[in-house]
Amino acid sequence: MARRWLKFVGFMLMLLPWHAHALLTIEITGGSEAALPIAIVPFGEEGVIPPEDISEIIRGNLQSSGRFAPLAKSDLISRPHEQSQVNFADWRLLRSEGLVIGKVSSQDGENYQVQFQLFDVYRGTQMAGKRYQVPVSGLRNLGHQISDLIYEALTGEVGVFSTRLAFVTVQRTADGARRFALQISDADGANPRTILQSAQPIMSPRWSPDGEQLAYVSFENGNSEVFVQQLRSGDRRSVAAFDGVNSAPSWSPDGRRLALTLSRTGSPELYILDISSGELTRVTHNSQSIDTEPVWMPNGRELVFTSDRGGRPQIYKIPVEGGRATRLTFEGNYNASPDISPDGQKMAMVHAVAGRYYIAVQDLRSGAVQILSQQGRDESPSFAPNGRMILYATEQNGRGVLAAVSVDGRIHQRLAESGIQVREPSWSPLRK
Amino acid sequence: MKRPLMQNLLAGGYSLLLHLVLVVVLLVGLEMPSKPMVVAQQDVEIVQATMVDEMQIQAEMQRLQEQEQARLDAEQERQRLIEEQLQNTQDQLARTEQEYLDMQQRAQLEAEQRQREAEQEQQRIAQLEQQRHEREQASQMAEQERIAQEEAKRQAERERQQAEQARLQAEADRKAAEQAREKAEQERLAAEKAQQEARQQAEQERQRLEEEQRRAEQERQRLEQERREAEAERERIEEEQRRAEEARRKAAEEEERRRIAQAEADLQRQLQVEEEQRTARRVAGVVDQHTVVIQQRVRRFWIRPSNTEQGLEVTLNVRVLPGGDVGQVSVVRSSGNALFDRSAENAVFAASPLPLPSDPQAAGQFRNFQLIFKPE
Repeated sequence: MARRWLKFVGFMLMLLPWHAHALLTIEITGGSEAALPIAIVPFGEEGVIPPEDISEIIRGNLQSSGRFAPLAKSDLISRPHEQSQVNFADWRLLRSEGLVIGKVSSQDGENYQVQFQLFDVYRGTQMAGKRYQVPVSGLRNLGHQISDLIYEALTGEVGVFSTRLAFVTVQRTADGARRFALQISDADGANPRTILQSAQPIMSPRWSPDGEQLAYVSFENGNSEVFVQQLRSGDRRSVAAFDGVNSAPSWSPDGRRLALTLSRTGSPELYILDISSGELTRVTHNSQSIDTEPVWMPNGRELVFTSDRGGRPQIYKIPVEGGRATRLTFEGNYNASPDISPDGQKMAMVHAVAGRYYIAVQDLRSGAVQILSQQGRDESPSFAPNGRMILYATEQNGRGVLAAVSVDGRIHQRLAESGIQVREPSWSPLRK
Repeated sequence: MKRPLMQNLLAGGYSLLLHLVLVVVLLVGLEMPSKPMVVAQQDVEIVQATMVDEMQIQAEMQRLQEQEQARLDAEQERQRLIEEQLQNTQDQLARTEQEYLDMQQRAQLEAEQRQREAEQEQQRIAQLEQQRHEREQASQMAEQERIAQEEAKRQAERERQQAEQARLQAEADRKAAEQAREKAEQERLAAEKAQQEARQQAEQERQRLEEEQRRAEQERQRLEQERREAEAERERIEEEQRRAEEARRKAAEEEERRRIAQAEADLQRQLQVEEEQRTARRVAGVVDQHTVVIQQRVRRFWIRPSNTEQGLEVTLNVRVLPGGDVGQVSVVRSSGNALFDRSAENAVFAASPLPLPSDPQAAGQFRNFQLIFKPE
């Protein structure tokens, strides 16, 4: 009865002239997660022409992130370098949400003054803007830092353009010998530099949480051995050179311990090594199976690792003090090489389907698995420090290359290539 | 009215004439001395003692008696006339007050006349007495002169007796006159009383009449007043009725006019409502079409941030300029995710200008509307 009455009232209300004043409401569903249009105006240059085109670095970074669709230079209506020169209406017509302008100037070619501004085109407001004074060597890195600021301003997420990658390259020399190198590069793969060369294999580089050190496995002494190397000084030392296998180092979140795989008792088991004291703590006691590739949960209380204790390689979780391991993966008959996202919510892994190996991501709460990569010869997934991308190694034309994919699988990046075999990448933490 | 007075005067005249005749007869009839005497005084008659024979006296007496009788008759006649007069007067008194006054005057005159007559009578009697006395003196002188003339003396005595008888007669006459006078006086008093009474009665009657008249006048006035009041009341009621009728008529007219106006207004309103409904339907159709168009357009420009949790929803208020340009976008209900909210706002800006309907009323609904953004 009351409902009928309400209906009647509603109908009468509709008949009233002022119902025209009732607010019309339109519902928008769908939408897309497409790249945001953004205008990046080439920076104005004064004085000595800089060796690096900062606005180009920014453009490249934003474009490669897959989150932005920078306007083509030819589409730029005008080329302002200062706010007073900006006519927002023009940029609105181009539907670019953001507008980046800036200037670079230098008197001597040694030190540069750089300034940039990011504008909200629709609202006509500045979203970010800074002035810098950098040596010429810092220009490129400054470009990455500015990219991070822009990215964060527009997406709300931390940018990772100024982070670094570590990976191992393999080169065959003219005499057919293999040369291994441990390299680090900018996050876009550019600007690689070698920190260690060896005729023997180098494996599993891992960044310390402070980004100052790398732990890796080197066979330089004939057997696997875990080293920790200071990046600035190049100082290095062996932290694990036990009998048998010494592999798969992983830094604890506090940076004081390493989780390792050691087979000094016969079968590979997980241990925790206190770096400063050298004290070892065994975590797993399962002589019948291989337990390896440990990674720390962000809370520092559990290790996630690969084990074939179930017959096939699967991923498990175990408390750092040992105890009962919990199986995490149940999809497919091969799941290995886990990495945990900084927020502890997602796990990247190598997931085999029909003999092909893909990078997949599993939601640790729901257990849902999503395959992200396409190649099928993919390995060594490593989360970006913002958790948005997963770096991995794959093969292209029979050659190992680095690639990245967004955790939702929509954005795929191919990193800069140097033409050499690249494997076992690792994404650095954020610069402090 | 004058007649009784004339009659009285006439009567008085007759009486006087009779006395004069009597005196003249007495004077002339007697043998006068040869030698005329000088009459020094007219009022004193000197009676010449004359010898008169018995026969002459008897005849004279007879003649006097007859005269007296005639006088009495006259008197009787006069009284009768007076009575008649009184009767008339009384009658007249009853009739009018004015007549009463006349009568009173006349009666007074009459009384005075009578008194004068009585006095004349007395004077005559006195004269007669004087004459008698003179005659006695003459007789005495004759006695002296003619001694013992018994016969003459007796004769004189007889004459004296006769004179006495005449005197007595005169006295009787006088008394009779007195009586008549008293009677007349009584009559007069009676008449006066009667007059008085009549007058009082007339006065009372008059007063009564006046009173009655006054009452009648009062009554008349009262009645007149009542009549006037009744008239006024009637007029008042009529006026009231007229006014009430007028008011009723006006109210009826007003009611009719109002009813007609109401009917017209109702009709107008109904037409308006129908027109509004038609317009509303037409506008609603246009609005629906453009809602879809705008929906599609905004959706095309909506770039959702990736890496956002499920179930986000943001409601925006959008103000559109006449040309369709998006003027102002504000968050009415946030999703809680600033980036998500922003993406929705930017979608609206990017969709600007919005395709507005050409119909102004339909376009009006898009001047300010709400958008709800939700991925699913």
